[in-house]
Amino acid sequence: MAPVPLLSLRDVTKRFGDVVACDGVSLDVSAGEIHALLGENGAGKTTLMNVVYGIYARDGGRITWQGEDARLGSPREAIAAGIGMVHQHFMLVPTLTVAQNVVLGLAPPGHPFPDRRRVEREVGALARHHGLEVDPAAKVGDLSVGEQQRVEILKLLHRDARLLILDEPTAVLTPPEVERLFAVLRRLRGEGRSVILITHRIPEVLALADRITVLRGGRVAAALLAAETNPDDLSRQMIGRPLVRPQRARRQAAPGPGLELEGLRCWDRGVERLAGVSLSVAPGEIVGVAGVDGNGQKELAECVLGLRRASGAVRLAGAALDGLTTAARRRRGLAFVSDDRHHDGLVLGLSLEENYLLGFLSDRRFVRRGVIARRWTSRETAAAIAAFGIAAPGPRAETRLLSGGNQQKLVLARELAGAPRALVALQPSRGLDPGAAEFVGEQLLARREAGCAVLLLSADLEELLWLSDRLVVMYRGRLSAPLENGERGGGIDLTRLGLLMAGQADPGQDPAPCAS
Amino acid sequence: MNAGLLDQLGDLATASVRMATPLALAGLGEAWSERSGLLNIGLEAVMLGGAFAAFLVAAATGSPWLGVGAGAAAGAVVALVHAFLAVTCRADQTVAGLALNFLASGVTSFAFLRLYGRGTDLPSCPVLAAVPVPGLSDIPFLGRVLFHQSALVYLACAALVVSWVVFSRTEWGTRLHAVGENPRGADSVGLSVARLRYLAAAVNGALGGVGGASLTVATLGFFQENITGGRGYIALVVVILGRRHPAGVFLAALMLGAADALQFRVQALGVAIPSQLFIMFPYVATIAVLLFTAGRSRPPAALGLPFDRRER
Amino acid sequence: MRLLRPIVTRLVVALAAFLVWALCVHLAGADLGRAGLGFLRGALGTQYGLSEVLVRTTPLLLAGLGVSVGFQAGFFNIGAEGQIYAGATAATACALALPGLPAPVLLPLGLLAGFAAGAAWALGPGWLKARLGLSEIINTIMLTYVAVNVVGLLVRTALKDPAYPLPVSPATPEGFTLPVLLEGSRLHAGFLVALAAAVGVQLLLRHTAAGFRLRAVGENPRACQVAGIAVGRTVLLAAGASGGLAGLAGAVEIAGVHHKLLEGISPGFGYTAIVVALLGRNRPAGIVLAAVGIAALQVGSSAMQRVAGVPSSIAWIVMGTLVALVLARPALERWRRPAGVEAAS
Repeated sequence: MAPVPLLSLRDVTKRFGDVVACDGVSLDVSAGEIHALLGENGAGKTTLMNVVYGIYARDGGRITWQGEDARLGSPREAIAAGIGMVHQHFMLVPTLTVAQNVVLGLAPPGHPFPDRRRVEREVGALARHHGLEVDPAAKVGDLSVGEQQRVEILKLLHRDARLLILDEPTAVLTPPEVERLFAVLRRLRGEGRSVILITHRIPEVLALADRITVLRGGRVAAALLAAETNPDDLSRQMIGRPLVRPQRARRQAAPGPGLELEGLRCWDRGVERLAGVSLSVAPGEIVGVAGVDGNGQKELAECVLGLRRASGAVRLAGAALDGLTTAARRRRGLAFVSDDRHHDGLVLGLSLEENYLLGFLSDRRFVRRGVIARRWTSRETAAAIAAFGIAAPGPRAETRLLSGGNQQKLVLARELAGAPRALVALQPSRGLDPGAAEFVGEQLLARREAGCAVLLLSADLEELLWLSDRLVVMYRGRLSAPLENGERGGGIDLTRLGLLMAGQADPGQDPAPCAS
Repeated sequence: MNAGLLDQLGDLATASVRMATPLALAGLGEAWSERSGLLNIGLEAVMLGGAFAAFLVAAATGSPWLGVGAGAAAGAVVALVHAFLAVTCRADQTVAGLALNFLASGVTSFAFLRLYGRGTDLPSCPVLAAVPVPGLSDIPFLGRVLFHQSALVYLACAALVVSWVVFSRTEWGTRLHAVGENPRGADSVGLSVARLRYLAAAVNGALGGVGGASLTVATLGFFQENITGGRGYIALVVVILGRRHPAGVFLAALMLGAADALQFRVQALGVAIPSQLFIMFPYVATIAVLLFTAGRSRPPAALGLPFDRRER
Repeated sequence: MRLLRPIVTRLVVALAAFLVWALCVHLAGADLGRAGLGFLRGALGTQYGLSEVLVRTTPLLLAGLGVSVGFQAGFFNIGAEGQIYAGATAATACALALPGLPAPVLLPLGLLAGFAAGAAWALGPGWLKARLGLSEIINTIMLTYVAVNVVGLLVRTALKDPAYPLPVSPATPEGFTLPVLLEGSRLHAGFLVALAAAVGVQLLLRHTAAGFRLRAVGENPRACQVAGIAVGRTVLLAAGASGGLAGLAGAVEIAGVHHKLLEGISPGFGYTAIVVALLGRNRPAGIVLAAVGIAALQVGSSAMQRVAGVPSSIAWIVMGTLVALVLARPALERWRRPAGVEAAS
């Protein structure tokens, strides 16, 4: 290890208006080190790295790179310095090939008339050398998510990045792909390169990192050596307070059928997204669907809602929903909470009142003969704001002004206000701080008490184990057989769960409907 | 009798090529622009500016070639203003284009009136002579149509070849494509989205300006208010018909040029087909093409959208 | 200080537009004072001038409302010009076909026909957008050219007045006339129709569920789809309303001003309406003011041409400059912030 750190941050601060995203953060990364930046959603990890990579300008503090003060005013400068970043949303051009994407922005041999075959050969050799198997001539749009990530990393290595910053790289990978990525990163470390890993997953941090910086609320909560810490310690540093979760009461079995899915199949651009999904959610039950993003969860939610065409049957309280519009399904008592508040849940340019109204356009108390009943809408919105503790300037304020947690509360308030018979929750607490996430979970439990059938699709195992009565695993559009989940999260073999999520266990792969 | 018909067809073909030239030039320029994600509705302003500047300079200096240069420069200025509004100010590209159309129409009319008054004689400017390509222009029929045209026709052909090569074979073309498809991705590898879009706009303006110049300095020899008469919009249509590919744009321009030429011939012959049907033809054709190819070929993903690095 | 900035930049924009105007007057070789006086007197100084401004405001206001309604739903109606022609044609044809009807029936019927024709003309691109996702920008422009040429065709053939050699339609019957409001001027009841439309649009957009759906879809169609709103149908409604108002503008021009169909019935009202909608910031009150303002600009410019010899194309220059400045204004605001450690984008 070199005596002078490769990258050094001192008191780096970044503000967005009144919100302080990074508050006086200091950390050091040496050459040949894997450094984990650990923290919950919203702790400031990505923002901090965006400052290092030149996407944001810092409001205070100093950055030293290879012993010298660095300005890093744009990604171009960062790349030239030898810093590379792989974001959560990939920055690839889907219509170009792998090789073209890797050399984009550089002058390939023969510039300006690139020798395509030579570039592909070189990129292929580079890929093989680092253990990142991918076809250089393939169009990026045709690749899987894991393969696209490899292309992103190749981009950095082609530019001989000395420091690679990876933002939540394992969020989109299956466990074996994670292992492969880790092997690549360890090899890079052996070459003297450094890696900053932004993550919220403690097991990965302990398996891979040399040093760990824990961020909480934009500040450094702890700077530790991986060898000298343990999961409980890290968890406590991340969250800052012991997480007390209300226990899940014993399930009151309600009569009648709830939400039933039978043999759902759907296709998207030639790829089968759902391969015959069958599931029954009884009233007053929460069924959790575990799985890594991209295995069909979003498509499943969309099919149930009627936003996507699928073959197979969807029934609610015994009545078939097939062929009904989304509006009709909602009138029958179906509600939906999504992870993507900004696109799926809310119209940010409208007021809170108007966003609340969005869920009640066919309710005669809100809309009488085509005219909006303003006073009733205001009253109901104010009541919801109070009941859910939404921090807002007022019901007429623009929804854009609310924080992420409060926005999600508004969505919940609207979706749950009609006492739905069935609720589909897709990653409902993603991107929320622990307090807000807890609130969401409590609301789901409350609905469960009231006899609603809740289908919870999530990648957060802790949340699933806390909330679900039964657990299934989704992998490549198929569901495993359900696993019963006792009150304290016992009864579930976590190893088996992990294997199922990686698609490596075969029991229960048949699509037959499961018994309650 | 056959010779007479062949002559007529030859005349028609020659006229088609001549009338297609401004559309081809402007269309090729717009293809550059749209490839990088800029939709320039102000193409009419580019062409009008180019036509007027070319006329002014050619009349003042006596050299039509200087006029062409002035036309290219004026067109580039207009397109760069559009790029400024679209890229730096991140304004709506359609409205910006319309504003420029208003401005160009007003400025050229105003300046023309001030400089030349309202006389009954239209002031004229020197015109580029037809340049026969030695040897090739002697080929019967094709020689006259393809190899005995004004230099701007050959320029358009050269622009076609250059555009095609740049788009499909060079790294510059790939970078423009990246900027138009995924500007965030291009930005993340250090490409300057703004710079590439400005460059594309400059090419758009230069080619479009020459296209406008070809009206005054190669074909008509005079200028009048709103001489472009909507050709800028037709050039946009040409780009859509040609699916933004240089060769497609060229062919579409030829097709519409032929329709234009046909319209004049038919009128001269006294046939009772109203001219309006010919004028409407390109638009109806485009809508038909759009209907039939919907979904099969799509525009650049970021076309018409402003890029802001800080937007997350 | 931060609160003042928007006001300051707006003043800067107005000042810059005025300076451009003054520069053009100077370049035209006219005396600034004389030209200015001619402008103001022509537009606002006499009763006749004022009435002319309001006559011109009428179609700008109606079409501007139409464009604005479209904008708010995410439907960029660039083809209002064509819809005006469509509306004018339908109104004329309807009136000519039913000459015997009494005025209280014929007038509303003709206006309705204009509205319907304009709506139909916009529904084509609207359907292409709702069903196939095709951009309406180019489609509406193209249909404008088709409409203008169809009118050219009709006034030479099916709708041609046999008595005249010129391409005009026969005069519309007495019943299809919007009464004159002011003796000795051209100001007609169409102005009141336009004002009523402004009030109506405001009420519909703010207080009805349909208006709400329109605005919501314009902001975030995906969230509306998830909430159960029929996005496609809403886009079609917006297209129809947008085109309908523009068509109504055309019908009103026939009934109030021209009383026959001819080419050039709209000197670019449809495109100017886009400027009106932009300056009015999509609020009916703002659109009324913007329409009056632009109309005054155009009337004043004509007067200035007569009085001081300044070409009336100055109006287009000022309009274009104004729009460009309005578009650049937010960037101007950002730019004048102190540099600091802020990296250039």
